[in-house]
Amino acid sequence: MSTGGSHPVIQLEDGWNNVIRPGAIDVLERALDDGFDTSFEPREYIRIYTTCYDMCTQRSPYNWSRDLYNRHGETIQTYLINTVLPALQDRTGQGGTILLNELKHRWSNHQIMNKWLKKFFTYLDRYYVKHHSLPTLEMAGLQHFKTEIYQNCRENTTGAIISLIDAEREGEIIDKTLVKSIVELYESMGMGSLDAYTFDLETPLLEATRSYYGRKREDWIARDSTPDYLIKAEKALGEEKTRVMEYLNQSTEPKLRKVVEDEILQTVQMNLLEKEGSGCIVLLANDKTDDLQRMFHLFSRLENGLQPMANIVERFITTQGNACIEKRQAKLDSGEKDKNDDPEFVKSLIDLHDKYLGVIRETFSSHHLFQKALKNSFEEIVNNDVGQYSNAELMSTFCDRILKSGGEKLSEAEVEQSLDRIVQLFSFLTDKDLFAEIYRNQLAKRLLNQRSASDDAEKALIAKLKVQCGTQFTSKMEGMLNDLAVGSEQKNEFDQRLEQHGDTKLSFGVQVLTIGNWPSYKAPEVALPAQMSTCMEVFKEWHDAKHQKRRLTWVHSLGNATVRATYGKKFYDLQVTTLQAVVLAAFDNGQTFGFTELKDKLNLDDITLKPIMHSLSCGKQKVINKSPPGNKINSTDSFSPNAKFTCNMRKIRIPVASVESSHNKNRVEEDRSVAIEAAIVRIMKARKTLSHQQLVAEVLSQLAFFKPQPRVIKKRIEALIDREYLERSSENNQQYNYLA
Amino acid sequence: MEVDSGTTVKLVSKEGDDFSVDIEVARMSELVKSMIEEDCDDEEVTEIPLPNVKAAVLRKVIEFCQHYQKEPMTEIEKPLKSAQMAEVVQKWYADFVAVEQVLLFELILAANYMDIKPLLDLTCATVASMIKGKTPEEIRKTFNIANDFTPEEEAQVREENKWCEEP
Repeated sequence: MSTGGSHPVIQLEDGWNNVIRPGAIDVLERALDDGFDTSFEPREYIRIYTTCYDMCTQRSPYNWSRDLYNRHGETIQTYLINTVLPALQDRTGQGGTILLNELKHRWSNHQIMNKWLKKFFTYLDRYYVKHHSLPTLEMAGLQHFKTEIYQNCRENTTGAIISLIDAEREGEIIDKTLVKSIVELYESMGMGSLDAYTFDLETPLLEATRSYYGRKREDWIARDSTPDYLIKAEKALGEEKTRVMEYLNQSTEPKLRKVVEDEILQTVQMNLLEKEGSGCIVLLANDKTDDLQRMFHLFSRLENGLQPMANIVERFITTQGNACIEKRQAKLDSGEKDKNDDPEFVKSLIDLHDKYLGVIRETFSSHHLFQKALKNSFEEIVNNDVGQYSNAELMSTFCDRILKSGGEKLSEAEVEQSLDRIVQLFSFLTDKDLFAEIYRNQLAKRLLNQRSASDDAEKALIAKLKVQCGTQFTSKMEGMLNDLAVGSEQKNEFDQRLEQHGDTKLSFGVQVLTIGNWPSYKAPEVALPAQMSTCMEVFKEWHDAKHQKRRLTWVHSLGNATVRATYGKKFYDLQVTTLQAVVLAAFDNGQTFGFTELKDKLNLDDITLKPIMHSLSCGKQKVINKSPPGNKINSTDSFSPNAKFTCNMRKIRIPVASVESSHNKNRVEEDRSVAIEAAIVRIMKARKTLSHQQLVAEVLSQLAFFKPQPRVIKKRIEALIDREYLERSSENNQQYNYLA
Repeated sequence: MEVDSGTTVKLVSKEGDDFSVDIEVARMSELVKSMIEEDCDDEEVTEIPLPNVKAAVLRKVIEFCQHYQKEPMTEIEKPLKSAQMAEVVQKWYADFVAVEQVLLFELILAANYMDIKPLLDLTCATVASMIKGKTPEEIRKTFNIANDFTPEEEAQVREENKWCEEP
């Protein structure tokens, strides 16, 4: 291409010395040194640009592209070496801020110089740099700064920055804008990557931070209580976060945080947790919510940082629970009678659970490790039985107190709340089936004796148990309530039927119970007086007509009656059980009976009759005379009506001492055997062949309501082998096969 | 000359003739753009001397830039798919470069000097279209170039550039 012949050729030294150096470089350097604003008039700017352009577009051998490119670099280099470096060296040793300020000033000058030189020489960037794959003018300028200045002073400046940061950590006010602009310089020196910042500033800073907080830690841990230490740690972590936001590169944040967390939290975690007089246990014991919350949040920053704390919480709650149990033990040891009723104890466990449920929700953000800690500790506490009565029984009795009329006087809301809490406690029980058995007995008593305070409350508790354990667990209890509901519906219908019959003047009611739902009761086949048996006949006829496939059996031991007894002119209404009424009826004619005679007449055994006779002849209201008198019933005693009986009240209740325990332990055992066998068969049917170990493990995982000992399971396996459900494998003694 | 409501700059030709140009149009030149960036707070109209561009050429350059604002030029496909510029670019641009060789070369120089990439693309493509499909002898004739190679030199050049004749 031709230059058009309009210009004379420009010689290198002419162009450089007459135009570029005096017009651009000298002006620029002077302005930078004097600190004036740098700006070029368009005319001046175009003159220099055009000169460079012409010198780069002239034909070889007058094309000066290479020379201009080199001189561009040399210009910058020379200025940096002759002017900038000495200025910085002058400032070294005069204090960090002075050095950093000088560097900031020089860096900003360099950016101005680099920008203008790039503009003047820009034609080089368009062809020469591209064709020769050279660094662009801008990059070359930056590279010169890095080589001549940055490499020489970075150690000093890094040291200066770290000193400033340390000073700020100690509470001094520092020039953050200054630090920020130097940090930007470090970022630029990576030439597009963060390497320079990372290696030259961040790494030394992290090391310095480690040693700074290492010193702080030793200082704090020696002097401060755990809460005070944690307050300082929290503050330090917050400040470091702000520091990164204010003047460091954001990528430093996680690294810096990790270093600080390592130094002030991880290293002394156990010391802090277990510190005498102010550790985690002390904070828990004194309900230091804020301190515990802070501890929780700080340790949640560490990897697996919460486990040790959760362990302490678990141990602490267990200790608290064991204290309740020890208190109960001490009460028993001091000779207090062991009853199946210890509301104070159950209440103390409920309160304990309630309290720490709250603590874990409010203070530990319901974190799963802490929920698990609560569960673990309560599983240990609740299954720690002392005394004659299991905790399952104490808890069931606690429910009984709430649910029966005349028990605890509670409002509806309080009942609801108490039931909620007791069911929570129940959920930790291993022997859930034992609870169910006892509960069912107590429920039966409440229902049959009309002592249940509220049908709704009964249903509510059963519903809660159902939520915890499923339908199977509560089906019998629901059946019991259902029997009663059906009974009251059908009562009217039968009353009308009885009236129509007209054969009897007795008022008579029957409660039909579905067998299997209810506890098993003794059903003595007592010889009833004719009046009573007539009523039963009527009912049986009516019932059989209504339900042809059902079989009625009569449980007289559960019945009760009101007997009017006449003594001379006076009469009394005696409230008694059916069996007591039968006995009283025998004495209707004023006869005297020997014990054995009476026994035979009524078809009752000793065990049943003795307490009845005791209640009638040895109790507070002696309606029958015993001969010889005494407080014990012997089979040689004889009995006759007490003609001289008087009492101030007209209605008299004559209670019989109960001989039955609250539940039948054998029944629980039997149910367990059945449940275990069912599980074994279910598992073996699916798996066909299993080793002993695997089978036991699977059985345990299937049983929800109790945890049998392995030897109990082994016994059931053997029983099933006897009954040819299973066989021992012929090759392996430790393996079983299912036999279809 | 059309002047938009926006600010204008004055472009001054080699001879000293000034052309008032809308700033958006003038900014198509990277050279002009880099100067305006520096002077954005200046109230008065900036005067930009362009000592390497003759008035006749500058007028043509401005015409190009103004038209480009209304109808941007499509990217020219390389290698050229035709020796006819009308088949390579919109009609206006093909007509724009249908000028005498001398002016065409001056436009190339101006586009390079002022750093106006689309104009440089268009003018260079035009020269390429003039070469396309021609023998060296025809090319010499087209551009009025004397063959000043000795036979030895010519053989050497052919050898060195063998690669570009291969399919």
